Amino acid sequence: MKAQRLHALAEAYGADLRRWPASERAFAESLIAADPSLKAVLDEAAALDALLDAAPAPAPSAALVAKVLAAAPKARRPRLHLDRIALYMGAGWAAAACAGVVAGVGLTSELTANERADAVLYQSSLTGVDDTEVLR
Amino acid sequence: MVAIIDPDEDLVRRVGQGDPAAAQALVARKLPRILALAQRMLGDAVEAEDVAQETMFKAWKQAPRWTPGQARFDTWLHRVALNLCYDRLRRRREIPTQTPPDRPDEGPAPDRGLMAAETGLRVGQALSRLPDRQREAVVLCHYQELSNIEAAALMEISVEALESLLSRGRRALRQSLSDLAPRAPAAALRGEAR
Repeated sequence: MKAQRLHALAEAYGADLRRWPASERAFAESLIAADPSLKAVLDEAAALDALLDAAPAPAPSAALVAKVLAAAPKARRPRLHLDRIALYMGAGWAAAACAGVVAGVGLTSELTANERADAVLYQSSLTGVDDTEVLR
Repeated sequence: MVAIIDPDEDLVRRVGQGDPAAAQALVARKLPRILALAQRMLGDAVEAEDVAQETMFKAWKQAPRWTPGQARFDTWLHRVALNLCYDRLRRRREIPTQTPPDRPDEGPAPDRGLMAAETGLRVGQALSRLPDRQREAVVLCHYQELSNIEAAALMEISVEALESLLSRGRRALRQSLSDLAPRAPAAALRGEAR
């Protein structure tokens, strides 16, 4: 049963135990240590591994590397946001205009209140004379 | 949830910040890997270059918003490349006139012996004749050296199903290359590609 599992694993993952599931490596090593004839199972798998490794991996061309690098993300430079500056300036002007209106209205009502009070006092003084005359 | 240790995490963060040295390092680390994956999946040098380029472009877009700890960047990159490969394989099936080349173009190889070059070509042909899923399993586990868990997750199958695909794929390869094994010289058969 154990030898069968060794066969199955070698058939799937080849002879290099680094490619095997980590949990099975110790099992394979102990099994082969106990029965060295089972090493033939790995040797058979190693022949196919060697053939597969004979197919070289292509190296990326310089043109491909350059094209890929040219598209890499660039560090962001602090940008001058003219639109935001214009927005903030506009908001500032609007706030100043509002403050001006509020101040103007306040001052005007203050001034007219004094004037109105004077006028009332004047009128009352005038009518006061008339009343005294009437009372007399 | 188990935290994922990603060896590319720092590099990806720096790429996202626009560090040109990090971009160069990531290209040196990943582009050959993704190109090899695409070449072996598609068996066509030009298409493989297109896929590798598109994958790296997607990596550039992803880097600034990459969230560490959710997945390994390498696994994500493989997923993107495999999706692009499958798009092309599907298109080939839909347009039967555009069949994949029988012999993958591997470019000039002046330092390789004739026998090794021939063996490499034969292996490439045998790989391209495998059913897509078997080829994917062999490429991910043997050439890309992903763990069985990573490969199974990428292929959205169980580890048992992956082992079955690997066994069938390797058996078919052994059969296709049976004439090479006895006469292949050790030098030609030793790991040039890894």
